[in-house]
Amino acid sequence: MLTFTEEILLLLLDDEDGSFAPIPKSTLSCAIAGAVLMDLAFANRIDTDPEALVVSDPTPTGTPMLDTTLAKIAAHEPGSDTRTWIRVLSVEDSPGIREQALESLVARGIVTRREERVLWAFRARRYPTIDGNVEQEVKLRIGEVLHSDEIPHPRDVALIGLVDACDLLRDIFPGTDIERLRPRVDQLRQMDLIGRELAGAITDIEHTVTMALSGAPY
Amino acid sequence: MEVTTERQNGVLSALVSGRVDSTNAREFEEQIRHAIEDDDRAVIMDFEQLAYISSAGLRAVLMTAKNLWRREATFALCALPDVVREVFEVSGFDKIITIHPSREEALAAVEG
Repeated sequence: MLTFTEEILLLLLDDEDGSFAPIPKSTLSCAIAGAVLMDLAFANRIDTDPEALVVSDPTPTGTPMLDTTLAKIAAHEPGSDTRTWIRVLSVEDSPGIREQALESLVARGIVTRREERVLWAFRARRYPTIDGNVEQEVKLRIGEVLHSDEIPHPRDVALIGLVDACDLLRDIFPGTDIERLRPRVDQLRQMDLIGRELAGAITDIEHTVTMALSGAPY
Repeated sequence: MEVTTERQNGVLSALVSGRVDSTNAREFEEQIRHAIEDDDRAVIMDFEQLAYISSAGLRAVLMTAKNLWRREATFALCALPDVVREVFEVSGFDKIITIHPSREEALAAVEG
């Protein structure tokens, strides 16, 4: 089974050219931070409520990209809430986590790594898909939950929160009237407390950027 | 965390007391799963004595609801203390799972 971090990166990559969907860098960083926290929560290493995020079991999971984050949270004074951790991890750890998750997707034979030169000067790394079945399965799962009124699996709820935070639904389901699905999406993404805080963290950052650009006080 | 169950006319009522969090959420889900019998037509979780529920606990409740939905059995919660109700409202679980003020009302609704 893929981690949430691997799943969201896979959905963000263009199958053909292996580039990332054009979303703001801060959104991508927050989504990766949120995904790692979801992975730790589903591995029963951290737990959350609307007020706090706590380490419930500091035992390493065996997945290096998760264990680095787990150790970091465990070493920190308890009391910080989920949104604070999303902000901290998005700034300090997301790039490293992203690289590790992409390497894992390469090692699993789902994507391949390709170095390219852009404008004859800059080097860019691309990750085109070589095994589309895994991604197709993920999309199918999301589609089934969104297009029905069935009680969702907690993993699907969390993933939909990540996907919606990255504004990926239109890319995943081209030709679908996403606004018609909006009430269901909003209902589901509220159900995972980390996903809920992820949306809030992204909104906070967008607000800060808007205020900074307008010159208004925060 | 403690779960006490009783059954009446195919309706399983489970009184949950203490805290449900990541340290015992799996055990909680398992206890409920084992308590449910094939011919149970409804399950009511009575949270009157539940002091705390975390995200892990919510996931366990959601899995129980999902399993019962698949077998077309009714699932409801009742008697949520304010602190627990707040978590269900914040997470929108109250929009997906029926919540009754008391066990009597939950039983009446199931029978009705």
